[in-house]
This record gives sequence, C-alpha cells and structure tokens, in this order.
Amino acid sequence: MPAPTPLRDIAVVAFAQTDHRRTTDEFSEVEMLMPVLHEVLDRTGLRTGDIGFTCSGSSDYLAGRAFSFTMALDGVGAWPPISESHVEMDGAWALYEAWTKLLTGEADTALVYAYGKSSPGSVRDVLTRQLDPYYVAPLWPDSVALAALQAQALIDAGDTDEPALAAVAGRSRASAADNSHAQLRGSVPSGDYLVRPLRTGDCPPIGDGAAAVILAAGERARELCERPAWIRGIDHRIEAHGLGVRDLTDSPSARLAAERAGAFERPVDTAELHAPFTSQEVVLRKALRIGDEVSVNPSGGALAANPVMATGLVRIGEAAARIHRGESRRALAHATSGPCLQQNLVAVLEGDPR
Amino acid sequence: MPEVLKAPLVVEFPFTRSLGPVQSAFLTGLRERVVLGVRTGDGRTLVPPVEYDPVTSEDLHDLVEVAPTGTVTTWAWNHEPRRGQPLDTPFAWVLVRLDGADTALLHVLDAPGPDAVRTGMRVRVRWAAQRSGAVTDIACFEPYDGPPAEPGTHDGRFEDLVTGIVAPARLDYTYSPGRAQSGYLHALAERRAVGERCPSCRKVYVPPRGACPTCGVATTEQVEVGPRGTVTTYCIVNIKAKNLDIEVPYVYAHIALDGADLALHGRIGGIPYDQVRMGLRVEPVWSPGGGHPDHYRPTGEPDADYETYKELL
Repeated sequence: MPAPTPLRDIAVVAFAQTDHRRTTDEFSEVEMLMPVLHEVLDRTGLRTGDIGFTCSGSSDYLAGRAFSFTMALDGVGAWPPISESHVEMDGAWALYEAWTKLLTGEADTALVYAYGKSSPGSVRDVLTRQLDPYYVAPLWPDSVALAALQAQALIDAGDTDEPALAAVAGRSRASAADNSHAQLRGSVPSGDYLVRPLRTGDCPPIGDGAAAVILAAGERARELCERPAWIRGIDHRIEAHGLGVRDLTDSPSARLAAERAGAFERPVDTAELHAPFTSQEVVLRKALRIGDEVSVNPSGGALAANPVMATGLVRIGEAAARIHRGESRRALAHATSGPCLQQNLVAVLEGDPR
Repeated sequence: MPEVLKAPLVVEFPFTRSLGPVQSAFLTGLRERVVLGVRTGDGRTLVPPVEYDPVTSEDLHDLVEVAPTGTVTTWAWNHEPRRGQPLDTPFAWVLVRLDGADTALLHVLDAPGPDAVRTGMRVRVRWAAQRSGAVTDIACFEPYDGPPAEPGTHDGRFEDLVTGIVAPARLDYTYSPGRAQSGYLHALAERRAVGERCPSCRKVYVPPRGACPTCGVATTEQVEVGPRGTVTTYCIVNIKAKNLDIEVPYVYAHIALDGADLALHGRIGGIPYDQVRMGLRVEPVWSPGGGHPDHYRPTGEPDADYETYKELL
C-alpha cells in the first residue's frame, strides 16, 4: 500500500522542552509546563492569540491530580476562548490530531504540548491501570514486568542477549552526554535485575518533564522557521490488547505505520525511537528496518529521559530540531503507547533540499 | 522559597464492571475449575477468550474447554513482588499456552528461583481455595512434568453465571501542590489569605494556581486579601453528604474576598440559611486546628453594592 500524499505541507517549526528531572516538587504541573510554552512561542514570535489550534497530551493518573489538563491550560492563556483539544495519551498523538486539524485548512498554526509528573506516584503501578481490566489488571503486572516478558521472548528468539541490551543502554546514555535536558547522562551502570532479564540500566529513568512544539502549514511555516521540518507522512497503528495474542518479538503496527508514513520510500539519516526499555529498541530497529548507518536516538532517547506522556512528543521534537539545525535531512520519529509497544506512531520529517 | 509542602494522597476505587457473554463464561468457568477458550472462524482457540476476534473483529461465542496444563512461551523473574500481585514470594511472570489453546494467558508461576524456569517448560494451574469468578481464581501456575491433561468437554453453559467483577484499584501518591498553592497553604496556617497578581492584567487570583488563565503568564506577586469578603452567589444544600457533620439545609456560597478578582467558595454559618443573600458581607471563622476557614459568618456590615461585585459572579 503506497503512502498517501498529505493534502497540505505542514512542518514542525519550533520545539522546546524542560530539563527532565527525578522530582519537581516545587512546581505544580502548570508551573513546570509554562516556561516551555513561553520558550516555544518565543522561538516563532507567536503569541497564544496567534495560534489556530492547541492540543495537549497528559494523564491525570501519573500525579493523581484530577483534571490536571484543565489547570495546565491556564499556562496557555485560553481567553478569549481558544480552539483546543486534549488527548489522554502521549503528546505525539496530540500532534497527530493537530496535524489533522491543519490538513483540513481550519487552522494554519498549532501549539502542541505534553507533560508528565511521574515523581508523585509509582509509575510502574500506575501504568497497570491502562491494561485489560478483566483478565490482566487484577494481577497488577507492572510496566517493567511486561517489558521483561518481551525481552525474554527476544532473547529466546536469538534477536538479542543481555550484553547487547547493555550496549543499547550504554550508547543511549553516552549520546545523552550532549543533551543538557536529559536526566541520565554519560556512564550509567547496568545495575541489578529489576525484573529479570531487565536490569535497572535497561529501564528508563523515572522523572518529570514537559515539551511543546509548534506546527505551521505552507508559507506560514517558512515565515516562522528558517528550515522547517516538513512532516512528509505520519501514521499510527495499534495491535490487539491481549499480550498472548501478539508476537512480542515483532511490531507489525510500527512497520505498518512507517509504511503509511512513507518511511521506506527513501533512507533516513536519523531515527528518534521511543523505546523506554533497551529490548524495545531491538524490536523497533527490526520492524522499521533501521540499519547501522542511521543515527539512532542522538538525544539519548527514552533511556536518558522519560517524562511519561511527553516522551513520544520529545522524539518528534528532537528529530525536528536536528532538521532545524541542519544536522539531518530526513528523519524518522517514533512514539509508542501501551504495554510492549502495543501502539505505535511514525512520522517522517524532512528539511528543504539545499 | 518557602518549604515545599508534601502530603500522602491515596486514590482508591472499587471498579464494578459488567462482563460480556464470553468473559462471563470464562470467569464462571474459573470458579468451577474449568478453563474455557473461544473458537475463531479460522479454527484457532483463544485463551483467555475474548468477545471479538482480534484479527477479523468477528463476534465470537463458540466456547470450548482447554486443559489446565500448558507450556511457558516467555517468562520474567520478579524477585520483589509488589502490592496486588498474585504471590507475595518471588515468582515468575509467565505467558502460558494451555494445551488445546493457540494463544497465551498472562499469569504467574510459583517456582523456587529463576534457574527453575525456562521457556518451553510445562506448567499446570494451581486453583485458589476460594474462588469467586475472577482471573485470580487461578492462584498461579506451578511446574508440572506429567502428560498433558485431557481437557473436559464443557460447552460454557453454567447455571449461575458470574455477570460482573469488582476490581479494587489503589494508587498511592506523595502530593505536592507546587509553588503558588504552597504559598497559599503556608499563609492559611497563619490564618491569612494570600492571592497572586497577574503582572499583565493585574487581576488577583485566590487561591493562586501559579498562572493567569487569561494571559498565560506566571503570577508571582503575592497579595494579602480579605479577611472579609462578599457573597456573590450561593446555593442551599439540602442533601447531607457522607462523612460530613453539618446539619442541612445549609448555604454554600461564592465569596469574593476583599482585594481578590476571583471568588472562592465556602459555607456560610451564623445566620439562618434563608436569610443569606447576594452582597452579604462575611468573615472567616477558623477551624479550631487552624489551616483553613471552617465557614464564613456575617460581619454585620451593610450589604455590598451589586456594582462592586458584579464582575466577580
């Protein structure tokens, strides 16, 4: 199935993120988010009133704060009333909604943001609440346990082994040494088993953070950004919720999303993959046909900073920022949601030819 | 910056969920020590059974019994069981393909250690002593080296069907309210009310949340407001809330504290409920332990002129 051509040229024109940290006790969610909103608007010279559509992604379960997204909206300045939406998902899916809105022509610019505070709760347990409530959630299988089942399946299939997983972790955190926003940087020990075969080093740091991007269509994008990161294609797909129905060593949903986003039509030079666990990078490299010549997670990826609900949007932002800076011509950005890479979003970004 | 406030917060719900016909049969089966799968159009048997085919979305209802023995398809060793998990001693998470099934069921395996577990090992169901029609009626799996058990021939029809489950969910947090609300709470402890002023539109928000929702900028200038205020609008509460030791009817009101540009809410006392009115001037009556106003009572001043609070309704 060939990838569809978007009806309009839409680009990521600005990206900003917080420093991702283990705790941000001194800030409420809106206090943590607001500086990022201001920074991303400043980069384009836009003000809230100039934005055609605003869309956010977050989950109240993370910090246990009901309707936190409505309070986060205070940071936007939503008066006079703005055109706005929210997804209880990673901000990458908020970006997808905003991209769709811009395709319709109803808006020419969009502000997309996401935030997550994992520090007040126990994110391993919080994430059990997204699982099938009848057969799975009553067992409280935490997010590390489910990722470990996937890792063991990969080891059994001969796709990886523990040293290879440690190498993924080492490479990611070494790359993050250049990323001042990252939480885990440089040399990080493999550590003890958390849930075998995954060690602490195979797992993402737990922390708080926020990110925001601005999208713009057509000429508006060129006015706002010297080198826009054009979204050549974007698609997301989901697999069955039953873990025992899926082949955990593969990601057909990621592959299909990539195909529909046009990722396989020409090679990419950069890939920002949302793989919170080392083993998931193994699955994604295979599904997305990413070779050794591709720079994978130059930001350090989710293993270096994992502000849950914003991590996927950060992948798109990081890929776009590399295009903005002229460090990439064509990049793949990936976001995931659910246990063991259940749902996957792929975007292909390109700079103008030079 | 004042000390960061923190408090434990427990979010706990007993979710009552109804079951579809296939889920109902499966969970009733577990109660009766029968494991049921569901057959798909192309002849696969899904365990645990689902209402719709995950590939074709076809409506499924053809229930078949599978064996309580099976094979581990992948596993993970959990040396530190967490609250709510099926065993409180170290165990393996497992996906188990039961004999007669084409898909795997997530559960736990009671084994002495990780060296005793491998993919491909044979296991069987250990039933819970007390069973209610829930996935936890399987207490866990245990290693098993006998031949595959012969599945029974149950067709999934039961006398006394389980039609719902109650799934308790509890999450524990350590909540911290952030900079602006911490400042507000610190002031309340001293029986003062403080708001924050927007540097752009100059409005004073009480309680402050750190941002001006109109301008989208940080509110940083702390402003003392009150203690007196004006009832801008109110309602009469006639239904007694659970665990609330207040006689009904009583009045719950929006109160604009003097100097604030946003009304907060509180209970009005010290006046018969049917005499409360818009414009009534009130002041806080602090709870014995301090920390927050228990209610507001009339000050005895003349009522405020409507013009003075009409923007605060």
